[in-house]
Amino acid sequence: MSTYGTTRHHPSQPPPSRVSTDYHTTLFRRLVWEGAVPLEIRVDPKELPANSDRGLECYFMQAPRVSYLPLLMPEIRRFLMDVVFDEAAAKNLKEEDWWFETEEGTLLKWHWSIGLIYDNHTISASVRVPSQAHSMSTPLRLILHLASPPTEKLLLSPSAESCKQAFMGQLKEADFIRWGNTKRITGLRKAEQDGLWEGIKDHNFDDFWRVASKVMPIVPSTRSQSPPPASMHSRPPSADNTAVPDRDGAYNVRSVPVRVYLPDGPVLQELIPPILEDGTLNTLSHFLTTHLPLLFPQRPPAPPPSRTNPNPQAPPAPELAFPLIQGVLTPPDSEVAWLGACLAGADGWLNICIGVSRG
Amino acid sequence: MSAQAILYEGSEEAQEALNAIQTYKSPIDPSIKVILLFKAVGNAPVMKQTKYKIKAGRTFGHVLHLLRGLLNFKPEDTLVTYINQSFSPTPDDVVSNLFKMFATEGYLIVNYSTTPAWG
Repeated sequence: MSTYGTTRHHPSQPPPSRVSTDYHTTLFRRLVWEGAVPLEIRVDPKELPANSDRGLECYFMQAPRVSYLPLLMPEIRRFLMDVVFDEAAAKNLKEEDWWFETEEGTLLKWHWSIGLIYDNHTISASVRVPSQAHSMSTPLRLILHLASPPTEKLLLSPSAESCKQAFMGQLKEADFIRWGNTKRITGLRKAEQDGLWEGIKDHNFDDFWRVASKVMPIVPSTRSQSPPPASMHSRPPSADNTAVPDRDGAYNVRSVPVRVYLPDGPVLQELIPPILEDGTLNTLSHFLTTHLPLLFPQRPPAPPPSRTNPNPQAPPAPELAFPLIQGVLTPPDSEVAWLGACLAGADGWLNICIGVSRG
Repeated sequence: MSAQAILYEGSEEAQEALNAIQTYKSPIDPSIKVILLFKAVGNAPVMKQTKYKIKAGRTFGHVLHLLRGLLNFKPEDTLVTYINQSFSPTPDDVVSNLFKMFATEGYLIVNYSTTPAWG
Protein backbone atom coordinates (compact mmCIF):
# COMPACT_ATOMS: atom_id res chain seq x y z
CA MET A 1 0.00 0.00 0.00
CA SER A 2 1.14 3.46 -0.72
CA THR A 3 1.67 5.99 1.95
CA TYR A 4 0.42 8.80 -0.25
CA GLY A 5 -2.06 10.98 1.56
CA THR A 6 -1.21 9.52 4.93
CA THR A 7 2.34 10.78 4.93
CA ARG A 8 2.10 14.48 5.35
CA HIS A 9 5.73 15.46 4.96
CA HIS A 10 7.76 12.87 3.23
CA PRO A 11 11.37 13.91 3.64
CA SER A 12 12.25 13.42 -0.02
CA GLN A 13 9.33 15.47 -1.30
CA PRO A 14 8.56 19.13 -0.98
CA PRO A 15 5.60 19.87 1.28
CA PRO A 16 2.36 19.72 -0.68
CA SER A 17 1.10 23.07 -1.88
CA ARG A 18 -2.43 22.18 -0.85
CA VAL A 19 -3.94 20.49 2.15
CA SER A 20 -2.97 16.85 1.97
CA THR A 21 -5.77 14.52 1.03
CA ASP A 22 -7.50 12.89 3.95
CA TYR A 23 -7.38 9.18 4.60
CA HIS A 24 -10.94 8.34 3.56
CA THR A 25 -10.79 10.19 0.26
CA THR A 26 -7.48 8.52 -0.55
CA LEU A 27 -8.92 5.14 0.39
CA PHE A 28 -11.82 5.42 -2.04
CA ARG A 29 -9.65 6.90 -4.76
CA ARG A 30 -7.31 3.97 -4.37
CA LEU A 31 -10.18 1.48 -4.48
CA VAL A 32 -11.30 3.04 -7.74
CA TRP A 33 -7.74 3.05 -9.05
CA GLU A 34 -7.13 -0.61 -8.18
CA GLY A 35 -10.46 -1.72 -9.63
CA ALA A 36 -9.90 -4.16 -12.48
CA VAL A 37 -12.20 -6.09 -14.80
CA PRO A 38 -11.69 -9.46 -16.50
CA LEU A 39 -11.44 -9.40 -20.28
CA GLU A 40 -11.44 -12.29 -22.73
CA ILE A 41 -9.99 -11.19 -26.05
CA ARG A 42 -10.51 -13.41 -29.07
CA VAL A 43 -9.32 -12.67 -32.57
CA ASP A 44 -12.13 -12.93 -35.10
CA PRO A 45 -11.51 -16.48 -36.39
CA LYS A 46 -12.28 -15.36 -39.95
CA GLU A 47 -9.43 -12.87 -39.81
CA LEU A 48 -6.71 -15.03 -38.26
CA PRO A 49 -3.68 -14.96 -40.54
CA ALA A 50 -2.57 -18.17 -42.19
CA ASN A 51 -0.82 -20.75 -40.00
CA SER A 52 -2.01 -19.18 -36.73
CA ASP A 53 -2.22 -21.44 -33.71
CA ARG A 54 -5.98 -21.72 -33.45
CA GLY A 55 -5.96 -23.45 -30.10
CA LEU A 56 -4.56 -20.34 -28.42
CA GLU A 57 -6.34 -17.45 -30.05
CA CYS A 58 -7.90 -16.35 -26.78
CA TYR A 59 -6.20 -13.99 -24.36
CA PHE A 60 -7.41 -13.39 -20.80
CA MET A 61 -6.41 -10.37 -18.78
CA GLN A 62 -7.35 -8.26 -15.76
CA ALA A 63 -7.48 -4.71 -17.03
CA PRO A 64 -7.49 -1.64 -14.76
CA ARG A 65 -10.80 0.23 -14.83
CA VAL A 66 -8.98 3.55 -15.23
CA SER A 67 -7.03 2.38 -18.28
CA TYR A 68 -7.92 2.57 -21.97
CA LEU A 69 -7.91 0.06 -24.81
CA PRO A 70 -5.03 1.68 -26.73
CA LEU A 71 -2.88 1.24 -23.60
CA LEU A 72 -3.65 -2.50 -23.48
CA MET A 73 -2.70 -3.02 -27.10
CA PRO A 74 1.06 -3.58 -26.59
CA GLU A 75 0.37 -6.46 -24.18
CA ILE A 76 -2.27 -8.03 -26.43
CA ARG A 77 -0.08 -7.61 -29.47
CA ARG A 78 2.90 -9.19 -27.75
CA PHE A 79 0.81 -12.24 -26.85
CA LEU A 80 -0.56 -12.64 -30.35
CA MET A 81 2.80 -12.19 -32.01
CA ASP A 82 4.62 -14.52 -29.63
CA VAL A 83 2.07 -17.28 -29.34
CA VAL A 84 -0.65 -17.20 -31.97
CA PHE A 85 0.41 -15.63 -35.23
CA ASP A 86 2.75 -17.17 -37.71
CA GLU A 87 5.69 -14.80 -38.02
CA ALA A 88 5.63 -14.54 -41.78
CA ALA A 89 1.86 -14.12 -42.01
CA ALA A 90 1.79 -11.49 -39.25
CA LYS A 91 4.15 -9.22 -41.14
CA ASN A 92 1.30 -7.85 -43.20
CA LEU A 93 -0.80 -6.90 -40.17
CA LYS A 94 -1.06 -3.23 -39.37
CA GLU A 95 -1.92 -2.40 -35.78
CA GLU A 96 -3.73 0.79 -36.80
CA ASP A 97 -6.32 -1.45 -38.51
CA TRP A 98 -7.15 -3.31 -35.31
CA TRP A 99 -10.41 -2.65 -33.49
CA PHE A 100 -12.67 -4.24 -30.91
CA GLU A 101 -16.32 -5.07 -30.55
CA THR A 102 -18.28 -7.02 -27.97
CA GLU A 103 -19.81 -10.41 -28.71
CA GLU A 104 -23.12 -8.61 -29.23
CA GLY A 105 -21.59 -6.41 -31.91
CA THR A 106 -21.14 -3.17 -29.95
CA LEU A 107 -18.15 -1.20 -31.21
CA LEU A 108 -15.73 -0.22 -28.48
CA LYS A 109 -14.60 3.37 -28.59
CA TRP A 110 -10.93 4.01 -28.00
CA HIS A 111 -11.52 6.93 -25.67
CA TRP A 112 -13.85 5.21 -23.18
CA SER A 113 -12.18 3.91 -20.02
CA ILE A 114 -12.17 0.14 -19.53
CA GLY A 115 -14.39 0.48 -16.46
CA LEU A 116 -16.97 2.47 -18.42
CA ILE A 117 -16.93 -0.09 -21.23
CA TYR A 118 -17.44 -2.90 -18.73
CA ASP A 119 -20.26 -1.21 -16.79
CA ASN A 120 -21.97 -0.26 -20.04
CA HIS A 121 -21.90 -3.87 -21.07
CA THR A 122 -23.35 -4.92 -17.71
CA ILE A 123 -26.33 -2.59 -18.01
CA SER A 124 -26.92 -3.43 -21.66
CA ALA A 125 -27.02 -7.11 -20.69
CA SER A 126 -29.55 -6.28 -17.96
CA VAL A 127 -32.22 -5.54 -20.58
CA ARG A 128 -31.66 -8.82 -22.41
CA VAL A 129 -32.66 -12.37 -21.54
CA PRO A 130 -32.07 -12.78 -17.79
CA SER A 131 -30.60 -16.28 -18.08
CA GLN A 132 -27.96 -15.01 -20.46
CA ALA A 133 -27.29 -11.93 -18.45
CA HIS A 134 -23.74 -10.85 -17.88
CA SER A 135 -22.64 -11.57 -14.36
CA MET A 136 -20.25 -9.21 -12.62
CA SER A 137 -17.56 -11.87 -12.30
CA THR A 138 -17.53 -13.24 -15.84
CA PRO A 139 -15.08 -11.82 -18.30
CA LEU A 140 -16.26 -9.35 -20.88
CA ARG A 141 -15.81 -11.13 -24.18
CA LEU A 142 -14.23 -8.95 -26.83
CA ILE A 143 -13.69 -9.73 -30.47
CA LEU A 144 -10.50 -8.30 -31.92
CA HIS A 145 -10.69 -7.52 -35.62
CA LEU A 146 -7.48 -7.16 -37.57
CA ALA A 147 -8.76 -5.31 -40.63
CA SER A 148 -11.30 -2.81 -42.03
CA PRO A 149 -11.87 -0.57 -39.00
CA PRO A 150 -15.18 1.35 -39.18
CA THR A 151 -13.30 4.60 -38.69
CA GLU A 152 -16.45 6.75 -38.86
CA LYS A 153 -17.95 5.03 -35.83
CA LEU A 154 -14.77 4.58 -33.82
CA LEU A 155 -14.34 8.38 -34.02
CA LEU A 156 -10.71 8.52 -33.02
CA SER A 157 -7.58 6.84 -34.30
CA PRO A 158 -6.43 3.92 -32.14
CA SER A 159 -3.17 5.57 -31.09
CA ALA A 160 -2.29 6.19 -27.47
CA GLU A 161 -1.58 9.80 -28.45
CA SER A 162 -5.12 10.54 -29.66
CA CYS A 163 -6.47 8.75 -26.59
CA LYS A 164 -4.34 11.06 -24.45
CA GLN A 165 -5.70 14.12 -26.25
CA ALA A 166 -9.26 12.93 -25.66
CA PHE A 167 -8.43 12.24 -22.00
CA MET A 168 -7.02 15.74 -21.49
CA GLY A 169 -10.10 17.19 -23.21
CA GLN A 170 -12.37 15.25 -20.86
CA LEU A 171 -10.35 16.35 -17.84
CA LYS A 172 -10.71 20.01 -18.86
CA GLU A 173 -14.40 19.64 -19.66
CA ALA A 174 -14.97 18.22 -16.17
CA ASP A 175 -12.95 21.07 -14.68
CA PHE A 176 -15.05 23.61 -16.56
CA ILE A 177 -18.25 22.07 -15.23
CA ARG A 178 -16.92 22.21 -11.68
CA TRP A 179 -15.52 25.71 -11.62
CA GLY A 180 -16.56 27.55 -14.77
CA ASN A 181 -12.98 27.63 -16.05
CA THR A 182 -10.07 25.29 -16.67
CA LYS A 183 -7.42 27.26 -14.77
CA ARG A 184 -6.57 24.35 -12.50
CA ILE A 185 -5.45 22.26 -15.44
CA THR A 186 -3.97 24.93 -17.65
CA GLY A 187 -2.06 26.09 -14.55
CA LEU A 188 -0.21 22.78 -14.43
CA ARG A 189 3.23 22.67 -15.95
CA LYS A 190 3.60 20.67 -19.16
CA ALA A 191 5.50 17.95 -17.30
CA GLU A 192 2.68 17.69 -14.77
CA GLN A 193 0.01 17.42 -17.48
CA ASP A 194 2.01 14.70 -19.19
CA GLY A 195 2.52 13.05 -15.81
CA LEU A 196 -1.22 12.50 -15.45
CA TRP A 197 -1.31 10.40 -18.59
CA GLU A 198 1.95 8.64 -17.72
CA GLY A 199 0.42 7.75 -14.35
CA ILE A 200 -2.47 6.04 -16.12
CA LYS A 201 -0.16 4.38 -18.61
CA ASP A 202 2.08 2.96 -15.88
CA HIS A 203 -0.91 2.38 -13.59
CA ASN A 204 0.91 4.28 -10.87
CA PHE A 205 -1.50 5.69 -8.28
CA ASP A 206 1.07 7.90 -6.56
CA ASP A 207 2.35 9.47 -9.77
CA PHE A 208 -1.17 10.16 -11.01
CA TRP A 209 -2.60 11.56 -7.79
CA ARG A 210 0.47 13.66 -7.00
CA VAL A 211 -0.71 15.86 -9.88
CA ALA A 212 -4.43 15.03 -9.93
CA SER A 213 -4.91 16.13 -6.33
CA LYS A 214 -4.14 19.67 -7.52
CA VAL A 215 -7.11 19.43 -9.86
CA MET A 216 -9.75 17.24 -8.21
CA PRO A 217 -11.92 18.72 -5.48
CA ILE A 218 -11.04 18.26 -1.83
CA VAL A 219 -13.42 16.50 0.53
CA PRO A 220 -13.39 18.17 3.94
CA SER A 221 -12.20 15.47 6.34
CA THR A 222 -15.03 16.00 8.79
CA ARG A 223 -17.60 15.13 6.15
CA SER A 224 -16.45 11.74 5.03
CA GLN A 225 -16.44 10.28 8.50
CA SER A 226 -19.89 11.17 9.75
CA PRO A 227 -23.33 10.91 8.19
CA PRO A 228 -24.63 14.19 6.83
CA PRO A 229 -26.98 16.19 9.02
CA ALA A 230 -30.62 16.03 8.00
CA SER A 231 -30.66 19.68 7.07
CA MET A 232 -28.18 22.45 7.10
CA HIS A 233 -27.62 26.09 6.37
CA SER A 234 -27.16 27.23 2.82
CA ARG A 235 -23.49 27.67 3.52
CA PRO A 236 -21.72 24.35 3.10
CA PRO A 237 -19.99 22.87 6.13
CA SER A 238 -16.66 22.96 4.35
CA ALA A 239 -16.79 26.73 4.74
CA ASP A 240 -16.47 26.22 8.50
CA ASN A 241 -13.58 23.86 8.08
CA THR A 242 -10.60 26.17 7.95
CA ALA A 243 -8.34 23.37 6.72
CA VAL A 244 -9.98 23.25 3.31
CA PRO A 245 -9.79 26.25 1.02
CA ASP A 246 -13.29 27.14 -0.16
CA ARG A 247 -12.26 27.39 -3.72
CA ASP A 248 -11.23 23.73 -3.91
CA GLY A 249 -13.88 22.05 -1.80
CA ALA A 250 -16.08 19.30 -3.25
CA TYR A 251 -19.17 21.01 -1.81
CA ASN A 252 -18.30 24.33 -3.41
CA VAL A 253 -18.23 23.27 -7.03
CA ARG A 254 -20.82 24.80 -9.35
CA SER A 255 -21.84 21.42 -10.61
CA VAL A 256 -20.60 17.84 -10.44
CA PRO A 257 -19.44 16.47 -13.81
CA VAL A 258 -21.81 13.54 -14.34
CA ARG A 259 -22.73 11.45 -17.34
CA VAL A 260 -25.64 9.04 -17.12
CA TYR A 261 -25.57 6.01 -19.40
CA LEU A 262 -28.71 4.07 -20.29
CA PRO A 263 -28.58 0.53 -21.71
CA ASP A 264 -27.48 0.61 -25.38
CA GLY A 265 -27.85 4.20 -25.55
CA PRO A 266 -28.03 7.75 -24.99
CA VAL A 267 -25.81 9.64 -22.64
CA LEU A 268 -27.60 12.15 -20.46
CA GLN A 269 -26.03 15.19 -18.85
CA GLU A 270 -27.51 17.64 -16.38
CA LEU A 271 -26.22 20.45 -14.22
CA ILE A 272 -25.95 18.83 -10.80
CA PRO A 273 -25.26 21.23 -7.94
CA PRO A 274 -23.70 19.68 -4.83
CA ILE A 275 -26.15 21.54 -2.62
CA LEU A 276 -29.83 22.04 -3.34
CA GLU A 277 -31.67 25.35 -3.16
CA ASP A 278 -33.10 24.52 0.26
CA GLY A 279 -29.56 24.06 1.57
CA THR A 280 -29.66 20.27 1.82
CA LEU A 281 -27.02 18.11 0.21
CA ASN A 282 -27.85 16.77 -3.21
CA THR A 283 -27.96 12.99 -3.23
CA LEU A 284 -27.86 10.32 -5.91
CA SER A 285 -31.47 9.45 -5.09
CA HIS A 286 -32.61 13.07 -5.47
CA PHE A 287 -30.83 13.37 -8.78
CA LEU A 288 -32.26 10.13 -10.19
CA THR A 289 -35.86 10.73 -9.06
CA THR A 290 -35.67 14.25 -10.50
CA HIS A 291 -34.19 13.42 -13.89
CA LEU A 292 -35.26 9.80 -14.47
CA PRO A 293 -38.59 9.63 -12.59
CA LEU A 294 -39.92 6.79 -14.73
CA LEU A 295 -37.02 4.57 -13.67
CA PHE A 296 -36.58 5.94 -10.14
CA PRO A 297 -40.11 6.82 -8.97
CA GLN A 298 -40.62 8.77 -5.79
CA ARG A 299 -41.89 6.89 -2.79
CA PRO A 300 -45.70 6.95 -2.98
CA PRO A 301 -47.52 8.82 -0.19
CA ALA A 302 -48.77 6.92 2.85
CA PRO A 303 -52.45 5.89 2.70
CA PRO A 304 -54.81 7.87 4.94
CA PRO A 305 -55.02 6.58 8.54
CA SER A 306 -57.89 4.26 9.27
CA ARG A 307 -59.34 2.59 12.34
CA THR A 308 -57.40 -0.62 11.67
CA ASN A 309 -54.20 1.16 10.69
CA PRO A 310 -53.92 4.46 12.52
CA ASN A 311 -50.26 5.05 11.56
CA PRO A 312 -49.90 3.93 7.95
CA GLN A 313 -46.42 3.72 6.43
CA ALA A 314 -45.69 4.83 2.92
CA PRO A 315 -45.18 1.82 0.66
CA PRO A 316 -41.63 1.50 -0.70
CA ALA A 317 -40.94 2.85 -4.17
CA PRO A 318 -40.80 0.04 -6.72
CA GLU A 319 -37.24 -0.97 -7.63
CA LEU A 320 -37.20 -0.74 -11.38
CA ALA A 321 -33.59 0.14 -12.05
CA PHE A 322 -30.21 0.34 -10.34
CA PRO A 323 -27.31 2.83 -10.53
CA LEU A 324 -23.83 1.41 -11.08
CA ILE A 325 -20.78 3.60 -10.39
CA GLN A 326 -17.33 2.04 -10.86
CA GLY A 327 -19.05 -1.34 -10.89
CA VAL A 328 -20.60 -0.69 -7.48
CA LEU A 329 -24.32 -0.66 -6.72
CA THR A 330 -24.36 2.78 -5.19
CA PRO A 331 -26.47 3.61 -2.11
CA PRO A 332 -29.19 6.15 -2.99
CA ASP A 333 -28.23 8.39 -0.05
CA SER A 334 -24.73 9.00 -1.42
CA GLU A 335 -23.96 12.70 -1.76
CA VAL A 336 -23.22 13.67 -5.36
CA ALA A 337 -20.41 15.98 -4.23
CA TRP A 338 -18.70 13.11 -2.44
CA LEU A 339 -19.26 10.75 -5.36
CA GLY A 340 -17.77 13.32 -7.73
CA ALA A 341 -14.64 13.69 -5.60
CA CYS A 342 -14.08 10.06 -4.63
CA LEU A 343 -15.66 7.76 -7.25
CA ALA A 344 -15.01 9.74 -10.43
CA GLY A 345 -12.85 8.21 -13.14
CA ALA A 346 -9.31 9.39 -13.79
CA ASP A 347 -10.74 11.94 -16.23
CA GLY A 348 -12.76 13.53 -13.43
CA TRP A 349 -16.17 12.37 -14.69
CA LEU A 350 -18.66 10.53 -12.53
CA ASN A 351 -20.16 7.89 -14.80
CA ILE A 352 -23.51 6.53 -13.63
CA CYS A 353 -24.67 3.46 -15.54
CA ILE A 354 -28.34 2.56 -15.18
CA GLY A 355 -29.40 -1.08 -15.41
CA VAL A 356 -32.79 -2.76 -15.15
CA SER A 357 -33.59 -4.68 -11.97
CA ARG A 358 -34.85 -8.20 -12.41
CA GLY A 359 -37.83 -8.20 -10.12
CA MET B 1 -35.27 -2.93 -29.56
CA SER B 2 -38.91 -3.99 -29.54
CA ALA B 3 -37.79 -7.61 -29.31
CA GLN B 4 -36.51 -6.93 -25.82
CA ALA B 5 -40.01 -6.33 -24.54
CA ILE B 6 -41.06 -9.88 -25.34
CA LEU B 7 -38.27 -11.34 -23.27
CA TYR B 8 -39.68 -10.02 -20.05
CA GLU B 9 -43.06 -11.65 -19.77
CA GLY B 10 -42.48 -12.63 -16.14
CA SER B 11 -41.84 -9.37 -14.36
CA GLU B 12 -44.23 -6.45 -14.43
CA GLU B 13 -41.63 -4.13 -12.93
CA ALA B 14 -38.96 -5.11 -15.43
CA GLN B 15 -41.48 -4.40 -18.19
CA GLU B 16 -42.19 -0.99 -16.70
CA ALA B 17 -38.46 -0.29 -16.55
CA LEU B 18 -37.97 -1.30 -20.19
CA ASN B 19 -40.82 0.98 -21.24
CA ALA B 20 -39.25 3.82 -19.27
CA ILE B 21 -35.91 3.26 -20.98
CA GLN B 22 -37.61 3.37 -24.38
CA THR B 23 -39.13 6.72 -23.40
CA TYR B 24 -35.77 8.16 -22.37
CA LYS B 25 -34.12 6.77 -25.48
CA SER B 26 -36.45 8.44 -27.90
CA PRO B 27 -34.39 10.73 -30.10
CA ILE B 28 -34.29 14.43 -29.39
CA ASP B 29 -37.09 16.24 -31.24
CA PRO B 30 -35.52 17.25 -34.57
CA SER B 31 -37.35 20.58 -34.43
CA ILE B 32 -35.27 21.57 -31.40
CA LYS B 33 -32.29 23.54 -32.57
CA VAL B 34 -29.48 25.45 -30.92
CA ILE B 35 -27.24 28.18 -32.29
CA LEU B 36 -23.52 27.67 -32.67
CA LEU B 37 -21.23 30.70 -32.71
CA PHE B 38 -17.95 30.00 -34.54
CA LYS B 39 -14.97 32.13 -33.55
CA ALA B 40 -11.64 31.94 -35.37
CA VAL B 41 -8.44 31.75 -33.30
CA GLY B 42 -5.00 32.83 -34.45
CA ASN B 43 -4.44 32.36 -38.16
CA ALA B 44 -7.63 30.39 -38.78
CA PRO B 45 -9.69 31.80 -41.68
CA VAL B 46 -12.54 34.05 -40.57
CA MET B 47 -16.01 33.23 -41.95
CA LYS B 48 -18.58 35.81 -43.05
CA GLN B 49 -21.37 33.96 -41.34
CA THR B 50 -20.49 32.85 -37.83
CA LYS B 51 -23.85 31.75 -36.43
CA TYR B 52 -25.37 28.45 -37.44
CA LYS B 53 -28.53 26.76 -36.30
CA ILE B 54 -28.11 23.03 -35.78
CA LYS B 55 -30.35 20.22 -34.56
CA ALA B 56 -29.75 19.67 -30.84
CA GLY B 57 -29.56 15.91 -31.28
CA ARG B 58 -26.48 16.11 -33.51
CA THR B 59 -23.09 15.02 -32.25
CA PHE B 60 -20.07 17.24 -31.99
CA GLY B 61 -18.54 15.08 -34.71
CA HIS B 62 -21.24 16.48 -37.01
CA VAL B 63 -20.24 20.01 -35.99
CA LEU B 64 -16.63 19.24 -36.94
CA HIS B 65 -17.81 17.93 -40.29
CA LEU B 66 -19.95 21.03 -40.88
CA LEU B 67 -17.12 23.37 -39.93
CA ARG B 68 -14.63 21.61 -42.20
CA GLY B 69 -17.09 22.05 -45.05
CA LEU B 70 -17.63 25.73 -44.31
CA LEU B 71 -13.87 26.33 -44.22
CA ASN B 72 -13.22 24.22 -47.34
CA PHE B 73 -10.67 22.25 -45.34
CA LYS B 74 -9.15 19.13 -46.86
CA PRO B 75 -9.08 15.99 -44.74
CA GLU B 76 -5.37 16.46 -44.09
CA ASP B 77 -5.78 20.06 -42.84
CA THR B 78 -5.55 20.38 -39.07
CA LEU B 79 -8.65 21.72 -37.35
CA VAL B 80 -8.67 22.11 -33.58
CA THR B 81 -11.86 23.17 -31.83
CA TYR B 82 -12.63 24.39 -28.34
CA ILE B 83 -15.73 25.19 -26.35
CA ASN B 84 -15.48 28.51 -24.49
CA GLN B 85 -11.74 28.74 -25.26
CA SER B 86 -11.25 25.90 -22.83
CA PHE B 87 -11.53 22.31 -23.91
CA SER B 88 -12.07 20.08 -26.94
CA PRO B 89 -15.17 17.87 -26.73
CA THR B 90 -15.07 14.32 -28.10
CA PRO B 91 -16.88 13.64 -31.39
CA ASP B 92 -19.58 11.60 -29.61
CA ASP B 93 -20.57 14.44 -27.27
CA VAL B 94 -24.15 15.43 -28.15
CA VAL B 95 -24.72 19.09 -28.98
CA SER B 96 -27.77 19.34 -26.70
CA ASN B 97 -25.63 18.24 -23.74
CA LEU B 98 -22.86 20.69 -24.62
CA PHE B 99 -25.41 23.49 -25.02
CA LYS B 100 -27.05 22.68 -21.69
CA MET B 101 -23.73 22.71 -19.85
CA PHE B 102 -21.76 25.44 -21.64
CA ALA B 103 -23.98 27.83 -23.59
CA THR B 104 -23.15 31.52 -23.21
CA GLU B 105 -26.01 34.01 -23.72
CA GLY B 106 -27.91 31.61 -25.93
CA TYR B 107 -24.95 30.48 -28.05
CA LEU B 108 -22.64 27.50 -27.91
CA ILE B 109 -19.30 29.15 -28.65
CA VAL B 110 -16.99 27.01 -30.78
CA ASN B 111 -13.47 28.37 -31.19
CA TYR B 112 -11.53 26.93 -34.08
CA SER B 113 -7.87 26.99 -34.89
CA THR B 114 -5.33 25.44 -37.25
CA THR B 115 -2.96 24.74 -34.36
CA PRO B 116 -3.52 23.76 -30.72
CA ALA B 117 -4.37 27.04 -28.98
CA TRP B 118 -5.13 26.47 -25.33
CA GLY B 119 -2.99 24.16 -23.26
